[in-house]
Amino acid sequence: MTLLEFARGPAIHWALIILVAGTIWRLLGVLALTRGGDLSRPRDAFGNYKGYRTVFSRAWPSSEFNVATRYQTIVAYLFHFATLIVVVGITAHIEFIQSLTGASWPALPNAVGVAIGIVALVSLLALILRRLTNPSIYCSNLGDYITWILVAAPLITGLMAFAHLGPRYETMLAIHILSVALMFIWFPFSKLMHSIWFVFSRAQSGLTYAHKGVQI
Amino acid sequence: MSTSAAVAPIFPTFEQVCQGFAGQIGMLRQMAPEPTLTDAVRVERAIDTLIAETNAGEAVWLESCIHCGQCTTACHFFQATGETKYAPMRKMDLYRRIYQREVGPFRWWYKLITRPVKLKELEDLQELVYDSCSECGRCTMVCPMGIDTASLVHHLRSALVAAELVPAELAALTAEQKHRGTIFGASADTLMNMINTIRDHYGVTIPLDKPSAEVMVLSSAVDLVANGNGLLATARIMNHLGVDWTMCSDGFESANFGLLSGDMALWRQQSESITTAAQRIGAKTLVIAECGHAYPALRWNPMIKGGSLPFDMVYMSEFLGRMAKAGRLNLTPIDGKITYHDPCKTGRRGGAFDQPRAVLQAMNADYVELPSGREYNWCCGGGAGIFLLERATRLRDESFKIKIKQVNATGAATVVVSCASCRLNFEAGRVKNHWDKEVASLVELVADHLIDTPAQAPAAKSSQPGVTA
Amino acid sequence: MTRQSTLGALLRSQGVSRRAFLKFCTTTASVMALPASLIPVMADALEQAQRQSVIWLSFQECTGCTEALTRSHAPTLEGLIFDFISLDYHHTLQAASGRAAEAAREEAMREHAGKYLLLVDGSIPTVKAYSTIAGISNLDMLKDSAVNAAAIIAVGTCAAYGGLPMAAPNPTSAVPVSDLITDKPIINIPGCPPLPLAITGVIAHYLTLGTLPALDALDRPLAFFGENIHDRCYRRPFYDRGLFAETFDDAGARKGWCLYKLGCKGPVAYNACAHVKWNQGVSFPIQSGHGCIGCSEPGFWDSAGIYESIADGQFGTGPKLASAAVVGAVAGAGAALLARGKKEKKAAAHAANE
Repeated sequence: MTLLEFARGPAIHWALIILVAGTIWRLLGVLALTRGGDLSRPRDAFGNYKGYRTVFSRAWPSSEFNVATRYQTIVAYLFHFATLIVVVGITAHIEFIQSLTGASWPALPNAVGVAIGIVALVSLLALILRRLTNPSIYCSNLGDYITWILVAAPLITGLMAFAHLGPRYETMLAIHILSVALMFIWFPFSKLMHSIWFVFSRAQSGLTYAHKGVQI
Repeated sequence: MSTSAAVAPIFPTFEQVCQGFAGQIGMLRQMAPEPTLTDAVRVERAIDTLIAETNAGEAVWLESCIHCGQCTTACHFFQATGETKYAPMRKMDLYRRIYQREVGPFRWWYKLITRPVKLKELEDLQELVYDSCSECGRCTMVCPMGIDTASLVHHLRSALVAAELVPAELAALTAEQKHRGTIFGASADTLMNMINTIRDHYGVTIPLDKPSAEVMVLSSAVDLVANGNGLLATARIMNHLGVDWTMCSDGFESANFGLLSGDMALWRQQSESITTAAQRIGAKTLVIAECGHAYPALRWNPMIKGGSLPFDMVYMSEFLGRMAKAGRLNLTPIDGKITYHDPCKTGRRGGAFDQPRAVLQAMNADYVELPSGREYNWCCGGGAGIFLLERATRLRDESFKIKIKQVNATGAATVVVSCASCRLNFEAGRVKNHWDKEVASLVELVADHLIDTPAQAPAAKSSQPGVTA
Repeated sequence: MTRQSTLGALLRSQGVSRRAFLKFCTTTASVMALPASLIPVMADALEQAQRQSVIWLSFQECTGCTEALTRSHAPTLEGLIFDFISLDYHHTLQAASGRAAEAAREEAMREHAGKYLLLVDGSIPTVKAYSTIAGISNLDMLKDSAVNAAAIIAVGTCAAYGGLPMAAPNPTSAVPVSDLITDKPIINIPGCPPLPLAITGVIAHYLTLGTLPALDALDRPLAFFGENIHDRCYRRPFYDRGLFAETFDDAGARKGWCLYKLGCKGPVAYNACAHVKWNQGVSFPIQSGHGCIGCSEPGFWDSAGIYESIADGQFGTGPKLASAAVVGAVAGAGAALLARGKKEKKAAAHAANE
């Protein structure tokens, strides 16, 4: 079995199995816990539903915190959107998704994909640089660094595979797929799960505060 | 107080109140109960408390932190010190570890890879959840995940109650309220003496223990043992309004050290004694004295089924605002530029924003909003019991400088607060920093500007000593 | 078979001009990345080259490799060089049969011991009974013939990497030459079939320099297998612009767009098809509208579907992922329910402590 066969066969397969099982395990293991009952009377009878607005409104910091969070907000947005575009816009990725789900859509020209991939990588570097230079603000732990490495790795290896840098293409492609597999495996057990938690966490706080008539 | 010019004020100024309080607080430290349990039991109880109090909501918050660090920009204690240990997200770390080891979906795994919690860690936590967190919730406003750190800190306080690790001052008052039902010795007798003093000296009547009344009014220990002006002002306003009101000798204390320390049983017990009294007299409205945390302690008490209670619970500022909007407060205009500080517990974590502003509007105030006002208001640094902690003095003093800057930016001459804790902290900060602002209590300000019709009381006015520097 | 003693004589007898011959030498030298100074050396060496004894063993194969080399429309220099060698044994091509044929092999082995080249096409079944020639199992014949060979050239993917006979479920337990012979230099010239120029190029190199050319990790001559098809493909610009044929009869296919999505293995297939091409440089599979199937790569038959693109995951998806989801759901719900029970117990204990 070649490295590529291992990568796009058992490696990515088991990674997906762990990703799916682990994510659902963690989600249900939390969401099926008891619900705290707040028995106090809400400020408005149906006002609590306004709390769900927080899920969307928190997508951008309020003007109060604009200046303080500007760097991080902009760079993080660049990173998240660039990564998302790369993940769903590159031909090879669409082919993989299609082989998994049957869904397909037009791809971006490779040059555009590479440019956006570089944006994603550079913004990720900008974020880690800030984290490293402001230790008192970020209180980073091992998980933060592992997560960063496992997110940066697919970007770096993907760009290298495309540019035919480093080892031969099929080896680089295999390394790229393996790095993604590692990220998939890490996902359910790490802060990467924030990509799902943010909905619940924002809603939870939105509801708590809306109960008291406060829009956060 | 502003009854008749002929009546000389007998209550101390608030500056004096503040100084007197400092002495009383000093004594608390000697009164703190010593731990009675073994270390292992204390740790176990802390962990068990967190297990018992962790629901899906807390779990989601603990799960979703990404260490983005943005909460540090919102926290007055971090901004004042720049010390990483005060970063809000760090306060959750121990809770998260306990959660991961005991409740979380992968707890079997985390039991293998994380260390068990030691008493030392709980001792270190004390500074993080008492001294350096006023549960003001400002960090929630910036958190991209919307994590409500204040709620989590409150659970940690509960855990430290179980571990007998409440800071001395809070522990002493918690024990006093739990076992004797008083705070700073403010008993039903103290209340009666105060009522008599006010009646005898100012001629202002305070109904006590009426068998039934529309409005039940609470007081607080600060007013009963030190600042008589607070209760006097309340009485004058109630009488001015002509409402059918009373105080109850079996439920008059707004302050709730169960909430402040994290003792859920005391929180519930203290709240229930008040709601029981209110139900007995058939009250339609329960007015909570200007004591910030008393608002969440009663109005937002998650353990008391508010929907089925036959009365409304309103904060003093809410009540005054309601009356002002109804045109029932007849007030003289107020001079000078004025601003209002939303106490965290009634503002961001209570939702009573518009009412106090309506009161100031009724006085035709030259009102100016604080920059970073309303939901984004900076905490004064003294809330959630921190004002009582001697150890937290530096944190309080440093963070108050943010407050000074914020108020100075408005150019207002007077900052109105509506919370005894805030007011004590403002007063202490004002004196220490030789700050040229006036700090006024909303209820005393209103009492000071009442235009009493002859039917109600003599109409003369004098300056109110309590609110001036 | 012609019987001229040197290659030069043979070529002249076939009417090949010296100019054409030098052109061939230049092409071969440049393809094989030899220095230009070696071109006249090669030309001289080839002209003077004595007939090289070659034994060609055909095992589990389809004769495609021989066909590719011999069935050209016009006689080629490659074909002529092939003609020139002393093909002492090739049971498809030789006139002799039966006992005489085997005798020819044995004689060559004896006469040219240590000097003859052993060319093998087809894989070797390790179960002896599955394939025999003149009653001798392929396995025995290979081992026997290899003993005194100078070098072995595994022609075609079957001999080099097992190829089709070794594809799952490999009913004959077939293996490539390199699995059986470990004490001889082996050079793999894979492909299904391999490029004729690759075969003659290696032979020319051996005739000229007496050595085998530089090899890659899979023992293929780097000169022909050093680059992937994708990097040399004339459709590469369409790949870069994101223009793909989605089906074999859509507009993209007619316009000659990239066949990546139709399963072309160009990016992972190392061969010279894209620039050397086939049929005297007429075309190659991609040019005729079909993606590369990567036939020069080990295990190409089993590694992925011919029409599945390289990026596709190669695993069964639905059921396993669905059962993973179920496992996760059960574990998660179970963990939560247990936590609920624990919480109730702790809450009761907490209340009792009050």
